[in-house]
Amino acid sequence: MTQQHQPWFRRSLAAGGWVYLALGYSLLMLPILTLVVFSFEASRFPTLPWTGWTWDWYQQLFSDGKLLQALRASLLVSPLSAGIATILGFFAAYALNRFNFRGKKALTIMLIVPILVPPLILGVAFLGLLSRINLQGHLHSILLCHVVILIPTAIALITLRLMQMPKAIEQAAWNLGATEWQALWRVVLPWSIPGIAGAFLLAFTFSFDEFVIAWFVSGFEPTLPVSIYNFLGSNLSPTLNAVGTIVFLMSVLLLIGVELLLLPMLLAQPTKTNS
Amino acid sequence: MQIPVARPQASWTPDRASRLKYLCLVPVVLYDSIFFLLPLVFLIWIGFWSVENYQAVPGFSIANYSDIFSQFFSRSRYAYAIAQSVWVSATTTLLGLLLCYPFALGLVFLVPARLQRFALVLAIAPFWTSYILRLYAWQTVINTNGLLNTVLLRLGWIDAPLQIIFTQMGTRIGLLHYLAPIMILILYLVLRNIDQTLLKASENLGANLWQSFWRVLVPLSRPGLVYCVVFGSIISLGDVLSGIVLGGGTGKSLLGSFPLFSTVILNEYAASTNLPRTSALATLLIGLMVIILVLGLQFAAIDD
Repeated sequence: MTQQHQPWFRRSLAAGGWVYLALGYSLLMLPILTLVVFSFEASRFPTLPWTGWTWDWYQQLFSDGKLLQALRASLLVSPLSAGIATILGFFAAYALNRFNFRGKKALTIMLIVPILVPPLILGVAFLGLLSRINLQGHLHSILLCHVVILIPTAIALITLRLMQMPKAIEQAAWNLGATEWQALWRVVLPWSIPGIAGAFLLAFTFSFDEFVIAWFVSGFEPTLPVSIYNFLGSNLSPTLNAVGTIVFLMSVLLLIGVELLLLPMLLAQPTKTNS
Repeated sequence: MQIPVARPQASWTPDRASRLKYLCLVPVVLYDSIFFLLPLVFLIWIGFWSVENYQAVPGFSIANYSDIFSQFFSRSRYAYAIAQSVWVSATTTLLGLLLCYPFALGLVFLVPARLQRFALVLAIAPFWTSYILRLYAWQTVINTNGLLNTVLLRLGWIDAPLQIIFTQMGTRIGLLHYLAPIMILILYLVLRNIDQTLLKASENLGANLWQSFWRVLVPLSRPGLVYCVVFGSIISLGDVLSGIVLGGGTGKSLLGSFPLFSTVILNEYAASTNLPRTSALATLLIGLMVIILVLGLQFAAIDD
């Protein structure tokens, strides 16, 4: 076996790799750090040198009605749409996982496609339909539309979890006298909980952050991203940094959920007893 | 003596006859049919409506399309916007791949195994924060009087502020920051599942590092690369926010100062609330994406 490269070459390659990783992480984190740091800076124009610490922007945020109202709207729409999508998605994932039937491939494609279509197109399409039946311009309009794009996410994640389930446990339940429904409710559902929880978290994040569809459909009851967008246009102010920090704190909570639920599922090896 | 044993009757129903199948699938299918398929079909139909007295009138006329195509290269310059979108999307996807692949390699081969999960969580952390707020933060960084320029000016590395914001480079930065966590995740999962003994075997057979990398690792990661390219292109083509917030609407690129097609659609609707016209434009975008997808699939198939 020939010595292909001197050890120093490999070591310097590895060192370069670490530098690259460090650079990458800094760039990934830079905007978030900027938001947090400058939400406390006194100057109106976030730049160096540092002018002083202040809570002003947070106070202004809480006294301003619009952003808070939008935040409340988002906190209403997102969990609800994520919940509905997760429920619909669970049943669909179960059926797709267990049954084989003619047209299954086409059906799967149809259920996954909504997340592949750009939200811009969906926004215009939803507006077209909803305005005809006069359902546009309210929070529930956004709810209806978000569910559509959240279902594929829910199906994908719950399917991931179901694929790790040994088929035998459901069959064992049947053999012991359970009906299909009982087996689903008391065996499959408990097993799928990490998948369901992960799906809910991911769906919540998508919905909470979704801008385009909400912009087209929400009218005078905007969600948080739409409200922020309006702010960016007219009232550029460091209160946006304050909003950003608060939303980021929420994301940290979500991240903890991801770390505890999603990643173990994603990184696990499928069980060998799967048929 | 045989003791009769009472066995519970297996009461499951064979898959074919299962009613649960329908109970589980009908709700989703119904929901998607009403709130997904119907709006899309409607969208394409609305593109053929006409507008009279500021009201959208159902019908079948190609007025919108003929209007759009008559302005394709002149007044509204849709053709240039489409070209700009395709250009920015292609370059962004390529850049994203070039930047994220080494990062994923680092995660898989440099980071110790027990720290990898934490490293991954950290890397996809930005994905869980608000996109529009991240864009606002990038504005703070790349603005003419923003963080980057202030630091560079004080260090004396540049004489005048760099104009990154309100160019398509700014758009790309926003898009890349959005795509990076996802690309890193996809590439990490793919690379992690590659059998590392194959790499050792390649070295044993005499290949140097580069050969092992280029002729073993990269081909094995092809599914991940394909996903990233497809995902990156579709997202960047449909993205609206980065082009407006960081690109300034009509950001400058190598092609010139043209808006992205997605920006055009959004702004046209904001200005006119002419739904038939906007629907026609959106249908054009759908067509464009289908073309790109088909071309992409052909390209991926040729390699095999």
